[in-house]
Amino acid sequence: MQIDINTENSILIITLKGSIDSKTASEVQQKVLEASVESDNVIIDLTKVDFVSSAGLRVLLMVYRQIKSKNGKVILVGVSEEITEVMEMTGFINFFEIIDTVTNALSSF
Amino acid sequence: MATQTQTITYEASLDVLEPIRKLLTQIGQEVELSKKKTYGLCLAVDEIATNVIRHGYEEAGITDGVFDLIIKKNDNQLVVTIVDAGTPFNPLEHNLPTEQDLSIPLEERPIGGLGVMIARQSVDEFKYEFSNNKNRNIFIVRYDQTDY
Repeated sequence: MQIDINTENSILIITLKGSIDSKTASEVQQKVLEASVESDNVIIDLTKVDFVSSAGLRVLLMVYRQIKSKNGKVILVGVSEEITEVMEMTGFINFFEIIDTVTNALSSF
Repeated sequence: MATQTQTITYEASLDVLEPIRKLLTQIGQEVELSKKKTYGLCLAVDEIATNVIRHGYEEAGITDGVFDLIIKKNDNQLVVTIVDAGTPFNPLEHNLPTEQDLSIPLEERPIGGLGVMIARQSVDEFKYEFSNNKNRNIFIVRYDQTDY
């Protein structure tokens, strides 16, 4: 699991690469929550994420809660068809804004 | 194609999740299962294997647990079974989140309960049996040509 964190125009861009399962989720959660403490607006780029289990959805939920409590916004980018389907099944899809590319996500703030 | 069966024994550790997904993906390709069904199978097995490792063994204080993954390739379907000797747990008796639960805003939603729901919905058929003091979680995916 690779986690890259950058900031552009005070928007946090978190780029994840690999699989988010119950093995990797705790590390992702810790790093992502820590990074988003100072930010109100977060883009999570999942373009290189090939697998997300319920443990991964839980990480997204934690980030969403943290940002939402500051009235901020979380945008997901590059969500595969398979991951979209699981987000639909669980109702998560209704709470996140999903945009195709980081560039487009940045210009939506 | 005659029925082919293989059984692999895994340590009850979260480290085995990725190798299991890789194996199932490879088998999915061999039997020309669609990408969507292969992903669904990996996801369902991942969720239940996680429960077996975490709740069936870890929480029961069993540190040297193992489970078997039995993969059966038939003419028209792939049947994957997880056999474990951990705490008996029937996912079919687990209360699934209702439509109402799923519409609760994420900031108010209780965490948990999603794994079993995802597992049951990601394969064509999900069955549970308890025999010889072992849990048997059975996942069935059919080779559905119309799915391509």
